[in-house]
Amino acid sequence: MSRKPSSLTALLAPARAPIAHGSVLSVAASLIWLAQAWVIAGALAGWLQGSGNPGRDALLFLALAALRAGLNHAAERQLFRASDLAVARVRERLLGREAKASGSGAFGGPGAVAALAVEKLDALRAYLMRYHPAMTRTALIPPVIFAIAAWHSWAIALVLLLAGPLIPVFMALVGWAAKDASARQMVEIGTLGDLMVDRVAALPDIRLLDAGDRVTGHFAQVSDDLHRRTMAVLRVAFLSSTVLELFAALGVAMVAVWVGFSLLDVIGWGTWGAPLTPFAGIYLLLLAPDFFQPMRDLAAAWHDRAAAQAVADEVQDWQAAPLPALLGEGARATRLAGAPVITWSGLEARGVSYPDTRIEPGARLAVTGRSGAGKSTLLSLLAGLEQPETGQIHVCGQPLDERNADGWRARLGWMPQSPQFPEQPLRAIITEGTPDPVHLHAAALDTVLARLPEGLDTIPGESGAGLSGGEARRVLLARLLHAHPDVVLADEPTADLDPDTADRVTEALLALAAQGATLIVATHDARLIACMDAEVAL
Amino acid sequence: MRAVLRAMLRGQMRPLLLQGLALSVLVLAMGAALLGLSGWFITATAAAGMAGAGLIFDVFRPSAGIRFLAIGRTAARYGERLLTHDAVLRGVAALRLRLLAAQTRAPFEALTRLRAGESLNRLGADVEALDGVLLRLLIPGLAAITVLAGAFGMLWWLVDLRIAASVTGCFTLGALLVGALVARRAARASRGLEDATQDYRREMVDLLRTRRERALQGTLADSRARLGRLDHERRQRAARLDRIERTSGAALALVAAAAPAAAIWLGGAAALGGGLSPALAAIGVFVALALAEAVAPLRRGLGDYGRIAQAARRVAPVLRPALPQPSGQTTIPAGAALSLDTVTLRRGPDRAPVLDRVSMTLTPGERVALAGASGSGKSTLLMLAAGVLTPTEGAIRLGDLPLDILPPEALRRAITLVPQRAALVQGSVAENLRLAAPEASDAELYAALEATQLAAVIHTRGGLQTRLGPRGAGLSGGEARRLVLARAVLRRPAFLLLDEPTEGLDAPTAQATLTGLAQALPQTAMLIAAHRHAEMAFADRVLRVMPNGHLAATQSPELLEIP
Repeated sequence: MSRKPSSLTALLAPARAPIAHGSVLSVAASLIWLAQAWVIAGALAGWLQGSGNPGRDALLFLALAALRAGLNHAAERQLFRASDLAVARVRERLLGREAKASGSGAFGGPGAVAALAVEKLDALRAYLMRYHPAMTRTALIPPVIFAIAAWHSWAIALVLLLAGPLIPVFMALVGWAAKDASARQMVEIGTLGDLMVDRVAALPDIRLLDAGDRVTGHFAQVSDDLHRRTMAVLRVAFLSSTVLELFAALGVAMVAVWVGFSLLDVIGWGTWGAPLTPFAGIYLLLLAPDFFQPMRDLAAAWHDRAAAQAVADEVQDWQAAPLPALLGEGARATRLAGAPVITWSGLEARGVSYPDTRIEPGARLAVTGRSGAGKSTLLSLLAGLEQPETGQIHVCGQPLDERNADGWRARLGWMPQSPQFPEQPLRAIITEGTPDPVHLHAAALDTVLARLPEGLDTIPGESGAGLSGGEARRVLLARLLHAHPDVVLADEPTADLDPDTADRVTEALLALAAQGATLIVATHDARLIACMDAEVAL
Repeated sequence: MRAVLRAMLRGQMRPLLLQGLALSVLVLAMGAALLGLSGWFITATAAAGMAGAGLIFDVFRPSAGIRFLAIGRTAARYGERLLTHDAVLRGVAALRLRLLAAQTRAPFEALTRLRAGESLNRLGADVEALDGVLLRLLIPGLAAITVLAGAFGMLWWLVDLRIAASVTGCFTLGALLVGALVARRAARASRGLEDATQDYRREMVDLLRTRRERALQGTLADSRARLGRLDHERRQRAARLDRIERTSGAALALVAAAAPAAAIWLGGAAALGGGLSPALAAIGVFVALALAEAVAPLRRGLGDYGRIAQAARRVAPVLRPALPQPSGQTTIPAGAALSLDTVTLRRGPDRAPVLDRVSMTLTPGERVALAGASGSGKSTLLMLAAGVLTPTEGAIRLGDLPLDILPPEALRRAITLVPQRAALVQGSVAENLRLAAPEASDAELYAALEATQLAAVIHTRGGLQTRLGPRGAGLSGGEARRLVLARAVLRRPAFLLLDEPTEGLDAPTAQATLTGLAQALPQTAMLIAAHRHAEMAFADRVLRVMPNGHLAATQSPELLEIP
């Protein structure tokens, strides 16, 4: 039972002391029951003798219950705070790394990361709040009750001794099986979430292909499968608590029957000589369930532990998965000083090696090559969004690194191949302050805005839905103009545009170059290439 | 809530749930009986022992009863847990599926604007919250009421009316009182937490999706800080809800203690007064202790109620039956043409029309290109022609039949639209292709890939079973485009509407792909929103969408000034 899962222990090590504090409070609350049972046993024994003060007993019982509730309240508060803090720390670490990543890693996309960071990490909280205190209570309370039972009767002590220790053995076996099954199920839940995001994103296409029924059918199958697996997990998980309850129930039943027979003087063995008093008999009956209760709590929390272990393993997987980081913090920064000369040598990334190049300020460079030749990657490298496997990029006469990447990006203008808009109105996407009508006109966005019912307050779909490809591109161009860049990195800026719009974009880019900006353009477009001074062919 | 319950409790669910409920009641009743019988047994034996009547006391029936109740309760508990969880999981699965099915019938434009983050929130989190309807509200609530009523009857019969009334009254009134005092505050707090969690999650997905963009704009660090603030907000709300739950837990513990206290007081007075034997008085005390188990789930239910109710409110409208779609046997006559008759489309009542009284006819086998500046309405015209967008005025017909009376299957069989931002799904290349043609053989799939110049690429990547990541990740932009086109080829439609089909392809590949399409689908009429010369040269005639929304014929592709 003390098989400590290392990934889980390591993950939650900082929470150990405050959780122990809360657990001790919960033990104190449980021990109050010993006094409450004392009051009840005393009252009932008194009735048998025709004496007693029921009103006083009732109030005493109630007062003790209030004390117990208060202690429980304090314990739960302490446990909540400690577990909340512990989980927040893990989440912070997770997001710290993910937010600075070049892109989605091998672990999974935004959906999978959010599922881990929000829903799944909460499983750790349940583990800390329930499993740990149950563990502490299991270690402390049964021995106390055992000692009280042994004081009165060796027979009851023997019953408890036999029923008690067998429980952990059974539980360990059952819990072990449950952990494996629950790990499988946790993975499946993440997959189901990702599958749903993926299918929902493709719903328009699915509809056009009349594949809605097939897709829901497939989803039904996956979800059916998940149901079967989940039930398999639950059958085992519930078995563990049932085994435990069976032992507890039989233990209590044996105590009750033995106490009854003893009180009748039908059996004369089991005590240390003196016959069992009615008070002791009733008291032992009241305590017997609580001998087993901590272990039952622990069994109920066993699933929490299994779920937490599965989450801890997943966090470990996430940690082990490579997640290339972008350079810098992505913070606003003062523009990096110096003439924006760009050079690189020995540059290699994603299996592509790039010819050594030097780009002077104001140069107009076309990066050409077939699809997949590494054009987009080069632009990412130059923006510090990715790091090369070998080689070094120099900008403004210094190596592009962690410290100067933010300042370098402050000088860049960026036009990606496929727009990824944050969930914000166009106004905020284009620039921080008020969009400049001159720039909107130069980007030919003003006519687009006039047609949109909500104008600048339109919130485009995540990859530009609600805007045509050309319109989305004009939004990007308007953003570029507002940034007043010294260096423009543009990825296929004219790719999906009609000739008129393509010309507008080309003109705007050339106008920026005329003002002294460096232009680096990855493109297939022969007309655009013709406007450049130099070409790097990949 | 009612609509959600109806959706969850369909067909074979009901017996499953009733059995689960019956077992829940049985578990609670047996628990109370076990403790009551044990307490009576010990007190009675003590009394008999003291009276020296030990040998005539029937010990065997009570002790057999104790053993039976102990084992029976354990078995019933296992069955109850399994059955209720099975029922709940099935209910949730049914709900999830109905929601997804409803989404697939939502208006097309709404679909294109669906944000993955939001829809995931809805379908995932809301549905998961709704498992609590059965597990934490309905089943424990009904079981508690039943058991308290039963306990009242039994205690009255065995013990005494006053004890029966005070024990069950304590629980009933106490639970109602705690519920009334706490329910609204708990609901508000849990709604608040739920909202904060959804905001946090949406913001997180948005940030992770656009982290590169944000880094370039220098707003990544700010967004990160904002996300941190949202997390802080969320944690504060969680703490508030936890405080309310903890306090109501303490209040319920006091309620649960008040019942035995009442039983001690009244039972003691009766026993000492000689009106009741001590053993019978003990039953009241022990049963009162056992009944605490019946109201314990109230604490969790109160904490979750707000979250559940809110999820139900959001989910219910989505479950409403979709608008009736035309159905039945409609055969589209062979050789029918696709025609637009004075079609006008406005985005709003006082907006300039995107398309203004547009008329055109696409005859079988014909290839027509649409020219026009970006944003002029070419894509809109294609969506109208595909029947996924309804015109403000005018009619669109296939032969003599207006598109809006055609059943969707017939319409989709006749017309295939490849939108500008067509999406692929996670899965193998074959799975992606078979979305279009589930019965197609591997050879047919390869033939379609061949037509779009992709067969060789897919072959070197590992064939049809090559796995694609979410949204088709793993292919370059041009490859994804050609896979989408291959998918359209597999539909073998009479009318193929292509929105900038060769976007992202280099000139030779674009040319070869168009030629491949024509060869693979010789009978198919094509309407192409064109943005490059190759696409216009591919067409028999070119129509131009003018800035004012009119459609104008141009004489021939060669006369157009196109690079």
